[in-house]
Amino acid sequence: MALAQIMDELDYFQILKVGQGATPNEIKAAYYRESRMYHPDRFHTMGGGELKDALSRIYKRINEAYVCLRDDVRRNKYVADVNGPERAKKLRFVEASEQELKKDKEQEVGTTPQGRKFFMAGLTDQAAQRFAAAERNFKMALTYEPGNVNYKAKAAEVAKLVKSSDGLK
Amino acid sequence: MADEIAIGIDLGTSYSCVSILENGKPGVIPNEWGERTHASVVSFLDDGTVLVGNSAKRNIITNADNTVYSAKRLIGRFYFSDEVKKAQAVMPYKIVEGENNSVRIQIRDAVFSLPEISALVLKEMKAIVENYLGHEVKKAVVTVPAYFNDNQRQATKDAGRIAGLEVLRILNEPTAAALAYGFGKDITQRIAVYDLGGGTFDISVLEIGKDVFEVLSTAGDTYLGGDDFDDRIMTWLAEDFLKRTGIDLRLNKYCLQMLKEAAERAKIDVGRDGIAKVKIEGICQDPTGKVMDLEATLQEAEFNKMTMDLVQRTFKVCDEALQSARMTASDLDAVILVGGPTRLPIIRTSVKHYFQKDVMTGIDPDEVVAMGASIQANSLLDAKGEHYLLDVTPLTLRVGTVGGYTDKIIDKNTPIPIERSKSYTTNRDGQEKVKIRVYQGESNKAAECELLGEFEFSGFRIAYRGEVRIEVTFEIDTNGIVNVTATDVETGQKTTCTIRLSSGLTEEMIKAAQAKNAATTLARGAEAA
Repeated sequence: MALAQIMDELDYFQILKVGQGATPNEIKAAYYRESRMYHPDRFHTMGGGELKDALSRIYKRINEAYVCLRDDVRRNKYVADVNGPERAKKLRFVEASEQELKKDKEQEVGTTPQGRKFFMAGLTDQAAQRFAAAERNFKMALTYEPGNVNYKAKAAEVAKLVKSSDGLK
Repeated sequence: MADEIAIGIDLGTSYSCVSILENGKPGVIPNEWGERTHASVVSFLDDGTVLVGNSAKRNIITNADNTVYSAKRLIGRFYFSDEVKKAQAVMPYKIVEGENNSVRIQIRDAVFSLPEISALVLKEMKAIVENYLGHEVKKAVVTVPAYFNDNQRQATKDAGRIAGLEVLRILNEPTAAALAYGFGKDITQRIAVYDLGGGTFDISVLEIGKDVFEVLSTAGDTYLGGDDFDDRIMTWLAEDFLKRTGIDLRLNKYCLQMLKEAAERAKIDVGRDGIAKVKIEGICQDPTGKVMDLEATLQEAEFNKMTMDLVQRTFKVCDEALQSARMTASDLDAVILVGGPTRLPIIRTSVKHYFQKDVMTGIDPDEVVAMGASIQANSLLDAKGEHYLLDVTPLTLRVGTVGGYTDKIIDKNTPIPIERSKSYTTNRDGQEKVKIRVYQGESNKAAECELLGEFEFSGFRIAYRGEVRIEVTFEIDTNGIVNVTATDVETGQKTTCTIRLSSGLTEEMIKAAQAKNAATTLARGAEAA
């Protein structure tokens, strides 16, 4: 009962009683251990009531924790979330919805066709170490989408690289 | 209570099987004639007698209009679905539309829902055990294909209740098979369960240990099974006959049934002997009134050629399951075959080839699911916690959004039970209700997913738009059944929730069906002979 009450203040590592550095095998072992403890089959004959509800809520949270921590991508994002300033709000992992993902992606590569074109060209130039050309392309992209943070960051990044490569010459 | 017992029932598309745990070992209970599997067929005779099982199956031809088979293909489906349309074309019994797009079976003047039909099969399974034990049983675990959606699970659970059984759990068939395989063995293995039944195909990848059975992924096709193999033979027989005589046997439902029966027998023969001789005497009359026979010989090579694409389809599904489990076939320790059609050499050799390993022998593909169900039934009864099944939801749970799209709520292959909440606000001043459509499926387009129902919430505060925040919680329970509740975030008040599962039965309908089921006497023993 007590656990069910404080559950909302615990992160997934605390739910599974493992450290943030736990290996995938340790996470699985912890999941099995907690399952043996809280699996609803154990309480099947229990009539119902508050205790059973609490146990059921705990087990659902254990599953939720396992789903998040067994997956590297989710786990990395989650670790960043719970160690960040908004920890209290991010104890429960929320997957970005498909629409949000699409939005993120658009934010990343741009919302205008011209902006995207110059941005992609800039990325190619950067990969080929043509930093000056990359900088020009990112700046062109910015003229189409002045508010795009990703364009700005990229432009600043290559501007630095242009300087350092100048220094080498 | 020493007498208390819970049974395990494998409610199959073509055949059902029932098992109990005796002295710590699962055993299949045969009926009075020693039959261990029972055709999932219900036959309503003219004198009001109802037959279930192999004796009912013999009536498919003589009492075609009033004999229902393959009900599992229709359970939990909407009247407008393709599967129902297909069934209407080939089934001799009458499939009609009920309220809210539901499917009903009409037998003479009586109308039955699909759960009511399945409940009669369950009632027979219950009677077999009761006859064996000499006392009543009330509790059961009933299995379903892992890939069954919420509507189909809910309808199966309703069937159990109608039959007067407390359904302790709706258990996935491959998981049950894995449990029967690993029970009491103390092994640690990664296994695949390849389950090809009469009407459905499932593949589950599991990691099993001494006491924990974890399903890593599951995938399936609820439109693929042994029946489709029969269909291929039927088409082959009918087309050959058409070419020789100019008569299309498929135009007559009576001939169609004879063809179907012959095709099923030919499939079994060709699987066992490598050759099948088909002979149907007096299948029809030619225009002059002369009675005609159908004769044909089916060679294994021919059979393999006509069904190879069906076999290949199962491996596409296997690819998907392995990928979800992040494994390749070589990571597996064992492959278990479940379901009658897996006796076919074409399946065995293809499976061996695909997984690059010999399939497990010593497991009866017809009985293993019921045995697993009885192990689980017993375990739920005494709750000693000797083993734990960690199962998953097979389909992604979604909610409808604007423009006919959907948004993911719970991913497929997520362990259950699980819940996830989502906040909604009102978008009109003084709004009284919020409607949420819930779907299951893998497409972000609503039209390509299965609608589970429309949930309507009301009873929260009436306020300006955007002021009321409603938190909706979607839960998938250990049966794989979806529950939805809503709370007004500010007041903490749980709002009332009307669930309108479009084709589901209401509580009153179930009560009425229970009474009807209890009043129905199944002809058993000497009566049925």
